[in-house]
Amino acid sequence: MPLLAASNLQKTYVSGDARVAALAGVSFSLDAGDFVALMGPSGCGKSTLLHLCGAMDRPTAGQLLLDGRNLAALGDDELTHVRREQVGFVFQFFNLLPTLTIADNIALPCLLAGVTPQEADRRTRELAGRVGITPRLDHYPQQVSGGEMQRAAIARALAHQPALVVADEPTGNLDSDNGARVLALLVELNREMGITILLATHSADVAAAAKRVLRMKDGMFE
Amino acid sequence: MMRLFRQFILRPLLRDRVRTATTIVGVALGIAVIIAIQLTNASSVRGFETALEAVAGKTSIEIVGSGSGIDETLLPSLGWLREFGVVSPVVQGDAALVEPDAVGQPDGTREAGRPRTEAVRVLGVDILRDQPFREYRLLDVGAGEPEVTTQRFLQLLTNERAVVITEKLARRRGLALGGEIRLMIGDRVVSYTIRGLLKDEGPARVLDGNFALMDIAAAQLAFDRLGRIDRIDLLLRNPEDLQRTLVALGPRLPAGIEAQRPARRGAQVETMLAAFQMNLTALSWIALVVGLFLVYNTVTISVVARRQEIGMLRALGVTGPQVLALFLGEAAALAVAGTVLGLGLARVLADAAVALTSATVSTLYIASVSAPPAMTWGHVALAAGLGLPLSLLAAAVPALEASRVAPTAAMHGHDTLEMRVRLRPVMLVAPLVVIGAAAGLARLGPVNGRPYFGYVSAFAIVIGASLIVPAVMFGLSRASRGFLRGRLGVEGLLAHANLSAAIPRISISVAALAVSLSMMVAIAVMIGSFRDTVVYWVGQTVRADLFVGPGVRPTVGSEQTLSSEVIEAVTRHPDVVAVDSFRNLDLVYNGNLVVLGAGHFDVALSRGALLFKSPSNARAAMRAAIGQDAVIISEPFANKYGKHDGDVVGISTPNGPREFRVAAVYYDYSSDRGVIVMDFSTFSRYYGALPPTGIAAYIKDGVDPERVRSQILAGLDEGHRAFIYTNRALRTEVLRIFDSTFAITYALELIAIVVAMLGVAGTLLTLVLERRRELSLLRLTGADRRQVTRMVMIEAAMIGAVSQGVGLTMGLALSMVLIYVINVQSFGWTIQFHLPTAFLVQSTIVVIAATAVAGVYPARRAAQLILSQDE
Repeated sequence: MPLLAASNLQKTYVSGDARVAALAGVSFSLDAGDFVALMGPSGCGKSTLLHLCGAMDRPTAGQLLLDGRNLAALGDDELTHVRREQVGFVFQFFNLLPTLTIADNIALPCLLAGVTPQEADRRTRELAGRVGITPRLDHYPQQVSGGEMQRAAIARALAHQPALVVADEPTGNLDSDNGARVLALLVELNREMGITILLATHSADVAAAAKRVLRMKDGMFE
Repeated sequence: MMRLFRQFILRPLLRDRVRTATTIVGVALGIAVIIAIQLTNASSVRGFETALEAVAGKTSIEIVGSGSGIDETLLPSLGWLREFGVVSPVVQGDAALVEPDAVGQPDGTREAGRPRTEAVRVLGVDILRDQPFREYRLLDVGAGEPEVTTQRFLQLLTNERAVVITEKLARRRGLALGGEIRLMIGDRVVSYTIRGLLKDEGPARVLDGNFALMDIAAAQLAFDRLGRIDRIDLLLRNPEDLQRTLVALGPRLPAGIEAQRPARRGAQVETMLAAFQMNLTALSWIALVVGLFLVYNTVTISVVARRQEIGMLRALGVTGPQVLALFLGEAAALAVAGTVLGLGLARVLADAAVALTSATVSTLYIASVSAPPAMTWGHVALAAGLGLPLSLLAAAVPALEASRVAPTAAMHGHDTLEMRVRLRPVMLVAPLVVIGAAAGLARLGPVNGRPYFGYVSAFAIVIGASLIVPAVMFGLSRASRGFLRGRLGVEGLLAHANLSAAIPRISISVAALAVSLSMMVAIAVMIGSFRDTVVYWVGQTVRADLFVGPGVRPTVGSEQTLSSEVIEAVTRHPDVVAVDSFRNLDLVYNGNLVVLGAGHFDVALSRGALLFKSPSNARAAMRAAIGQDAVIISEPFANKYGKHDGDVVGISTPNGPREFRVAAVYYDYSSDRGVIVMDFSTFSRYYGALPPTGIAAYIKDGVDPERVRSQILAGLDEGHRAFIYTNRALRTEVLRIFDSTFAITYALELIAIVVAMLGVAGTLLTLVLERRRELSLLRLTGADRRQVTRMVMIEAAMIGAVSQGVGLTMGLALSMVLIYVINVQSFGWTIQFHLPTAFLVQSTIVVIAATAVAGVYPARRAAQLILSQDE
């Protein structure tokens, strides 16, 4: 059974009389341990698809199964629990909480999920070592570089041991050196830890690192 | 620009109705409370002065005696006064209108106190002489005569039971010409025949028409002032000679009699009420301060919520000053709406405030009217002069912040991160300097009897404590991290992190709430201490078993005495073993109204228990004062006039000014006017044998005072109405009066706290809107609605806890200034400091719970946030 399976997935945004079809019937599946890159121009629907796969939003029509559960049928609280337990996020603008230290940011998903502070701390230190930001654990996000913030964000995305990591342009806001390091880290995590990654990008270089590339245009796969 | 203002400011204001309405109501309450207190204060003084002017009529000068009026036998020797104009002797006093349903009740009283009665001002004149002074317009005499001649008027009144009342009173009470009106004067209930009705003109306008006219002889009889008149009114032939005549009259008048302008009595009353009213005025300003804090909050929310729009406007070419003007315009719109609503509310609040304060004013000071005066353009100008500029000032900080928004950063939403604060020395030095100055100012004495430095000291404490809030929050942020994380879990960790990062933003809210709470604490401590002191004082000094007083409560300008029938009924009772009668007079001392009291020192020493302040052998000194030219004085008198035991006080007596040695100073909380007490034998020597105004009776051991009281009351005939309190009932009555005196204080405080709570909700909403990206992110990271709600409510409760902590500390400092500086300098009372621990613990719990509740709406808004597509 695939980890993620989308069938005729549609998403339409309504604003007044205007209707915009962001996704016009998308079907695909993702197996555990996959590393899939979504490519396409701005507005093609790849961020919308990521949001649906990450349980941030519900589709207008179609079916989306994550580990056998249909996300389209879940309520707000159930979606929250899916995000808390099964999905990790990496964003283009890092989106670390500025009021928390790097350590607290990484531990946050664990703490929200009810993991004990001691266990959360252990995982934080382990992941910080893995992504190479141990010396920065007591710093606040605004005190570290963009590359370090994104590595911390990756550690946060993994802290609660999700089944799926959703990454939206993870290197889009980084210089080429830091971008390459972050990409190498994702590849390494996928290969060594078997983390399933669904990544959206404009960059062909980034997409080349994935095991599979899905190209999108006007809300559909090409 | 106007179009931009309409689109960018007015439309959102109309859209976000709850926030807009809350702010307008906040400003309105602030304005309304200030204007209402102004009206309330004016009602008592103006009420007295209007009554004074109405009764004084055209009187240029009044000739008055010392405390007990003028001996009638002196009148022939004052015939020379006619050289200057027309004279008219007057007897004046207050009576109570006896309710028809109260007739038939043997005692006419309740244990809790005197029933509420309607005061009627009674004027006794010689109508033949008095016509030039006052305009009496009779409505109808029942004989179909078109014009009432003086002769006819005289015929109406030449009967000791004849009275002319106002048409207004008759209509209100359903009284008719030729009918009967029952008045209670002192302890006597007398029926009068209504012989005429006065139109609503001249003296008839007094106390909203509660006026009765009698012949002077009938009034003397009614008020038990046979052989005495209260004053002689003088209408000058040449009114421009007023000052010269006053100077000329002085030396020619006999000892103990002086000439003054009628307005002087009004000025004396104004002075007497000034301290009470000044404290109310000071308190009323707190509501406005808190209301302005709401304006600050609303404009801040407006700026924060529309930061990106501001960035866009800036990118499109709108200048910084234009953005500033837009947001100041928002504050101005709120201020104008708040001021207009406030003026309307002021009238309602004034009615409520008059109802709350009139009991105090009439119990402790003067017979007051029950309605506030009409609002004037002056009040409107005051409201506008306060509301608009202060609102603009409150909005200046967020409006400036808006004008500095960078176009690009705001459009991307990246410039809202708060800078983490570091504790800098200036954060401690500046507030400590201000608090040090407050301590210094508190040590300075009064200016013209007013505690101005005390008020400045209190203000400095408020400023100093507000300035120290960021440092306190910084310290608490450091200290509480472990606790919050350990005890309140991830929500505690997040709440702590959020608040720590927002110290600059929330410091103003915390300071504003802390100021309101500090006033609550200060007033609670002051009132609690005062109440405890009074309870102790009453417990120590109120020793007699029964206290007998006249049916009508005496006030300034209205003496009420006990008749011989009532006195005999008390003294004759077989279980009464000792009686101490006492007599009070209003006396002018140093231009102020004080109380001159007379009592039997020997009975007071053997049976009573005055608490003495000085000297150490005060009881012996008091005993030595019996029959001598010596007095004991109350502590407020000693403090106000700088007198100590051994000093001399000069008092005007019917025999001229006399000096009396101060034998002792005693604690007294019954009157802030100051009391001078002499032994009855000394008093009688100077003031004659005047009927007492009250009696303290001691009964045999083991006898039930309630039974004696009932028996005495049952023995009185229909024509006498006395109020007899048992010891226990009097103590209850004292505390009832005390509590009603401070009811207005609590009411004002409650308004300020409610407005402050609205402010906390507003602040939290600001924080929520400001952090909407982070909150959305939190939801994406897995936080459910319950967790986000809990986090915001913990933040709210923490704001409440810190505010209460700062408020408690600030409040205790303020209470010291209130107790040891402002009260002593305003009223002359020594209050023993007492901490109402239970109240403070309860209020702390309530405040923290209330602020947590105030966080519910922002918390719900926060929990609904979810990252939108473009973020």
